[in-house]
Amino acid sequence: MKLAILGAGPGGYVAAIRAAQLGAEVTVIEDTEVGGTCLNRGCIPTKAMVASSEALSKARELDKFGIELRGELVPNLARIIERKNKVVSTQVKGIRGLFKSWGITLKEGRGRLTSQKQIEVTTKDGSTETVEADAIIIATGSRPAAIPALPFDGKNIITSTEALELTEIPSSLLIVGAGAIGCEFACIYRELGSEVTLVEMLPRAVATEDIEISELLEKELKKKKIKLLTGIKIDKAEIKSDGVHIFLSDGRELIAGRVLVSVGRALNSGDIGLEAAGINSGSRGEILVNNKMETNIPGIYAVGDVTGGILLAHMASREGLVAAKNIMGISNAINYNVVPAAIFTSPEIASVGIREHQAAEKGIKYKIGRFQFRALGKAHAMGEITGFIKLIAEESSDKLIGAHIIGPHASDLISEAALAMKNGLTIRDIAETIHTHPTLAEGLMEAAEDLHGEAIHVPKK
Amino acid sequence: MNPEDVRYHKEHTWVRVSGKKGTVGITDYAQDALGDIVYIDLPEVDSDVEANSEISEIESTKATSSVISPVSGKVLEVNEDLLETPEIINEEPYDKGWIAVIEIENDSELDDLMDAAEYGKYVEEESK
Repeated sequence: MKLAILGAGPGGYVAAIRAAQLGAEVTVIEDTEVGGTCLNRGCIPTKAMVASSEALSKARELDKFGIELRGELVPNLARIIERKNKVVSTQVKGIRGLFKSWGITLKEGRGRLTSQKQIEVTTKDGSTETVEADAIIIATGSRPAAIPALPFDGKNIITSTEALELTEIPSSLLIVGAGAIGCEFACIYRELGSEVTLVEMLPRAVATEDIEISELLEKELKKKKIKLLTGIKIDKAEIKSDGVHIFLSDGRELIAGRVLVSVGRALNSGDIGLEAAGINSGSRGEILVNNKMETNIPGIYAVGDVTGGILLAHMASREGLVAAKNIMGISNAINYNVVPAAIFTSPEIASVGIREHQAAEKGIKYKIGRFQFRALGKAHAMGEITGFIKLIAEESSDKLIGAHIIGPHASDLISEAALAMKNGLTIRDIAETIHTHPTLAEGLMEAAEDLHGEAIHVPKK
Repeated sequence: MNPEDVRYHKEHTWVRVSGKKGTVGITDYAQDALGDIVYIDLPEVDSDVEANSEISEIESTKATSSVISPVSGKVLEVNEDLLETPEIINEEPYDKGWIAVIEIENDSELDDLMDAAEYGKYVEEESK
C-alpha cells in the first residue's frame, strides 16, 4: 500500500505513523513544517507562552508563599518567544525523528492533487515532482479566519500566528473574538502587562461552554482588569498614527496599539486540487466525509479541520487513526460522542459532553453535582482555589453525560470524566473510586458525591 | 458587639441610614462564617438594586457567596478600597469594610429589618 498524506499536522502525521506501523509505504507532503498549526502556530506555542505568563503570575505572588523577592520582575517578550521557539523546535525534531524511524518519506513543498492517484509537489525552489499513491489522506487543516472590517496587515491587525511572534509587549491589545484563542491570548498578554479589551459578537465569553463556566471566566477576566464587551460587532477599523481605531456596532470608538482577530478558522481546501480529483466539498469548503473518513472518491480520505467538524488537534489525530486503519484494511468508524476539550485561560477550562442548557433544551432529565476547588486542601496548598467542577448525569441511569471544569489543571482532570463517559460509567462509579489524597482529582469524586447529596467537604444544605 | 446604629437583614447584611442614604455591608457573623475574604465583585455605581436580591458577590478562601441587599435603590457609591484589600471586610465589617451606599427608595423596607438585639437572637438561633 502506497499512501500519500497531504499535510503533516496532528491529523496527517498521526495517520502517517499509524499507517506505517500497519505496513504502508507512506509519503507525507508538507509546505511549512511538520506538526502543522497545532505545533507551530497553535496549541504548543501558546502553551509555552501560557507557561511564561503563569511563571510571572506565580512570581508576583511569591510573598504569599513565603519567598522574598529582592529585585524586579521584568517579562522579556523576546526571550519568552525564544523559549517558545525552542519548545516548538524540539517537538518538530521529535516528529521528524519518528518519521525517520518508521521509514516515512517527508516531501517539503506544496502539494496539489492532479488526479485521484497523484499529487504534484512544488518545492520552495520551484521544482516539481509527482507522488503516486494507492490511497491519499487530505489533512490540510485551517488558518485564521478574516472578517472584512478588519483586514490583516500582519503588523497592526494580526492573527494568532503573529501574536506568537511579537517582540514587544503591546501597551494595548484589542482582541476581536472571545472564544478559546481570544481568551487565551487575553490572559497571556494581560499578565505580561498589556491593557486588554475583548470584543465578542456573542452574548458571552467562551460561548460554546456551559453557561456557568462562561460566567466564572468572565468574573476572572474582570479581576484581571481585562475589559470584555459582549454582543458587539466591529463596523470598521482605521489605522492612524496613534493606533488602530475600532468602530463598534454600538457607536463606540476604541483605540488600541494592536488588534488581534480571533474569530474562528477558515478551512484550507482551496487550491489543493479537489476539482481535479472530483472530491465533493460543502458550503464552507469543508471536504465531505463519511464516518470512515472517506470522501466520495474511493481511496481518498480527509481528516481534521479541513473536514469542518470539531476543530481540535486531538480530533484530527483520532480521525487520522481511523483513516489509516481503514486504508490498511481494518474497518474503523469515528465516534464524536466523547470529545474532551480544553481552554488554557487562567484559570483553565475543560469540558466533555453535554452542557446543562443543552440537556435542558433536549428535555433530558438530569442531575447536577458541583464541587468548588476551594474546598480542597490541595488547592489551598497550591494557592489555586478558584473554580469548580460540575458533573451532569442522566437522572434515570446515573450515567455521566457532561463534565465541566474551570480551575487549576482542568485540562488534565477532564480525562477521567472522558474515560467514564466513553465507558458508560455512572456517577456512583466515580464516587466509589478511591481518589488519591491530596490531589485536585478528589474534586471529581466530591462532585460525583455531591450529585447524590453525599459530598464530604460540603456543608449541609 | 453588633452595633446599634444599623438595621440587619436575615441574609446577614446591614444598612446604616443617614437621610436618604443607606450604607450597606455584611455582618461580623457573615465575615466570620466566610473566613478570609479574597475578592469582592462590587456593584456598578448608578445601577439599581432590589431589596432581598444580590448586590455583590464575595469570595473567601472557603466559599463564594451572594451579598443580599437589605434595601432597594440606586447605587450611589462603592467602596473601591475593597478591590485591592478585600480583607478589610474581615477586619472592620461595620466600618471601613462597607460595600456600597444606596439611595433608599422605600423607607418602609427598613421596617422589615432587625435591630441589633433581634439580629443577635436570630444569629443565636441560626448557629444552633
